[in-house]
Amino acid sequence: MRIDKRRYYHLDWYLIINGLLIFGIGLLNLLSATSSFSSGSYNFMIKQLIAFAMGLVLIGVVMYYDYRVIANQSRWIYLGGLCLVILVLIIGLAAGGAKRWISLFGFSIQPSELMKPILVIFLANMLHEKKRQNIPLSLKDIGKPLLWTLIPFVLIVKQPDLGTGIVIILVCFAILWYVGLKRSTYAVIFGVGAISPFFAWNYLMKPYQKMRVLSFINIDADPAGFGYHAKQAIIAVGSGRFLGKGFMNGTQHKLQFIPEHHTDFIFTVFSEEWGFIGSVVLFALFISFINRCLKIAMNAHDELGSIMAFGIAAIIWVQFTINVMMAIHLAPVVGIPLPFISYGGSSLLSMMISVGLLLNISTRRYMF
Amino acid sequence: MKDENLSSKYKWCTLVLVITMTVLLIRLWDLQIMRGSEMRKLSEQNRIRVKKIVAPRGIIYDRTGKVLADTRPSFNIYLTPEDIRDFSQTVDGLARLLTCDREEIIEKMKAASGMPPSFPIKIKSDIPMDEVARVEAHRVYIPGVSIQIEPKRNYPYGASFAHVIGYVSEISDEELKNKKKYKDYSPGDYIGKYGLERSYENDLRGVDGEKRVEVDAIGREVRTLDVVDPIPGHSLHLNLDLELQLSADKALEVRKGAAVALNPKTGGVLVLASRPGFDPNLFASGISKKEWQKIALDKAHPLQNRAIQGGYPPGSTFKILTAMQALELGVINERTTFTCGGGFAYGNRVFKCWKKGGHGTTSVHRAIVESCDVFFYNVGLKLGVDRIHEFGTAVGLGRVTGIDLPNEQKGLLPSTEWKKKRYNQPWYEGETVSVAIGQGAVWLTPVQLAQLSSFVANDGKNFKPQIVNRIVSTEGKVVKTFEPVVNADVKFKTGVLKIVKDGMRGVVNEPGGTAGASRLQNVLMCGKTGTAQAGSDKVKLGDHAWFIAYAPAEDASIAMAILVEHGLHGSSAAAPIAKGITETLFKVKTVIKEAKADENR
Repeated sequence: MRIDKRRYYHLDWYLIINGLLIFGIGLLNLLSATSSFSSGSYNFMIKQLIAFAMGLVLIGVVMYYDYRVIANQSRWIYLGGLCLVILVLIIGLAAGGAKRWISLFGFSIQPSELMKPILVIFLANMLHEKKRQNIPLSLKDIGKPLLWTLIPFVLIVKQPDLGTGIVIILVCFAILWYVGLKRSTYAVIFGVGAISPFFAWNYLMKPYQKMRVLSFINIDADPAGFGYHAKQAIIAVGSGRFLGKGFMNGTQHKLQFIPEHHTDFIFTVFSEEWGFIGSVVLFALFISFINRCLKIAMNAHDELGSIMAFGIAAIIWVQFTINVMMAIHLAPVVGIPLPFISYGGSSLLSMMISVGLLLNISTRRYMF
Repeated sequence: MKDENLSSKYKWCTLVLVITMTVLLIRLWDLQIMRGSEMRKLSEQNRIRVKKIVAPRGIIYDRTGKVLADTRPSFNIYLTPEDIRDFSQTVDGLARLLTCDREEIIEKMKAASGMPPSFPIKIKSDIPMDEVARVEAHRVYIPGVSIQIEPKRNYPYGASFAHVIGYVSEISDEELKNKKKYKDYSPGDYIGKYGLERSYENDLRGVDGEKRVEVDAIGREVRTLDVVDPIPGHSLHLNLDLELQLSADKALEVRKGAAVALNPKTGGVLVLASRPGFDPNLFASGISKKEWQKIALDKAHPLQNRAIQGGYPPGSTFKILTAMQALELGVINERTTFTCGGGFAYGNRVFKCWKKGGHGTTSVHRAIVESCDVFFYNVGLKLGVDRIHEFGTAVGLGRVTGIDLPNEQKGLLPSTEWKKKRYNQPWYEGETVSVAIGQGAVWLTPVQLAQLSSFVANDGKNFKPQIVNRIVSTEGKVVKTFEPVVNADVKFKTGVLKIVKDGMRGVVNEPGGTAGASRLQNVLMCGKTGTAQAGSDKVKLGDHAWFIAYAPAEDASIAMAILVEHGLHGSSAAAPIAKGITETLFKVKTVIKEAKADENR
């Protein structure tokens, strides 16, 4: 096996350092967020670090193969991912009323998380030819990508994991926009987009999901349940004030006022302890990271790499924005992890695969 | 690979990023800067609770330092409304764990509706260990429920001291509404409701402490921030004697009646027993409705303290009073005799003597010893009711003695003035005949007759009956000592008291004395029996048995009054109880002497 030395010169150190900074903050924050758990915070730390180590291996694997080679195999990768998602519905492990995990080689993994980068690769492979020809997509053109997105979407929402479902559908539309759409296609998408909420409300959403939306609109509608948690999350963030309560000094999460404060609501822990200042720094790191992804997309060697990098940027942007908005009561409560920060091996692995892809694309930008 | 199309896409993306950043920062600014202080306050309130630490109630000791009432730890269930997430889940879950009705819990919550939602409401007191374990194991599913370890009142001798010491119980809604008097109390607090517990509530209660604790989302204490220690209540040292009380109580246990014994030199109450009684521990544990109704509706009235609230005609014990006044005023003297033929005709009625054959020619000494009724009919007529009333009032009869217990009855000692006021009728001399031997309109409480006995024993002087000797703080500092308060101090002509006292000695120690069976070997007890008619002429209930006594004959150290409701004869029902008490008192002293003798050997 021979590794082309040139790739190292072109490694995107900006992206790597930016990502490591976010991950480091996340690790520190995790220590505080899990300090009140009976199993001890180091237990969580170690698990997260093991996932990180595995992620480094995966980055190596992803970078070894040219992204074009990977894209060529995308249909098999996609089918593999789909199989895992289907497997969840059959032999999945249940936790908190949802079946989201399967046990593979002694690890419990969440296939819906892995589906995000897989779908990006798959759609990029499907659409890069059109992008190269610079032909805006007609209604007929978007049928196929939408169909292949809707299949995992439905399966994932059935788990139920509405959060991941929303992420992949939004990322799909982002990629379609990036490839370029005809005016008529825009019109239809907006039209359908306008009526779909009513349709979803009446036919698709489960009562508890409706309750989340209602308690988002009126925080006092369900003071005992979701409203209560939303309120406690706001109190946590607000009580951080300008400078925060200090590392390990947050009380809202330590005293269990906030559910899932080490996963989906982890931002409240960070913001309570580091205040406005810390939050601004964290936001800046995320925006800079996303911007770097976009830069990679702009400078990619070909359309395939460009779409892939953009798709990944979209994943990170969607997750970051919705997660933070949910924590500060600008969006209904929905289970979406904060990239690199939330506790959870699958989410971290999925993010690191994405980073592997980005590095893959950026190192090969001058290669023909 | 750069073209126009791509850079336009990039511009859009940058715009989206800028908008994202702006929206998030505005919201954060609003929450953390504009409303930061408010949110910080909310988060503090979230986690900090002020919890009351109940002060242990003062301990009650008898005169020898034996514990009559103390506190022990108990587990109490509290519910904090603010921490309840799902009302029916918590309330129904708790009801199931405690095997009680959900209505009971809701009732308790309603009673505390005026308190803030962070105020923990006491749901059940003194729960057994298995319930503690069950609740603790299910804490996560019933947010808002907490278990507190708090001192609980404990009465080791149960019913034997129920009427003296009384009991504590949870403060009632009615009491709480009286904001002025009970402003320091909150729902769930214990308060003395009866007996000494009530009279000395302010001394016994102490001052509750406080602790500020950090709690988690379901109300569990995580850590304590600071503590203000409670100040335990003062302890009471009583004049009461455990051994004597138990002796009297044991004798009364199977009957109805009361026994009061005083120290004639100080008024200190040595014994105050009343039966039937109740177990005060039931009240301290939070009595159930069923148990309460059983006690409250009992026809035998176990909640009445017969020693200070029971009014009975004093019967022949009253003759002591009549004799003293007649001798003092010179109505009779030692040698005055009346002839008893078994009856005394007055007006159109014959007043019988208890002895059918009569006592023959009787002087005052024999009249007391053998309790001749006819002799005292004559004396009473000569004396007149008002002079009996005047003297009796001076001794302390027909008015409250001032004993340190709540709700004492004052009894009745009739006079012409009283009858005029009460019935607007003149007094008939025939009524005086009855009053002279303690029948008719006169009715007195056992503690009043103990005062009479004490008065004779102490040669014309008695004191306010006093149960508590001193109040002592936990550090051992004496807060208050109750000095004897003189009630009556009458100077008699020489010889008068000797005649009466000799008569009372004869009752127990002379042949033919009505209480001869209660004579004691080692100590000279003096007494007077009484057998009082109970009920009206139509409804014949068994007569009440009385015995008043003091011992020893000279320099008496105990004066008693014993009443046995429907005990029939003072000599057979009441006197043996006095004998038992006296025996117990003097036996103890012998033991001490022997121990000393051994030492010197």
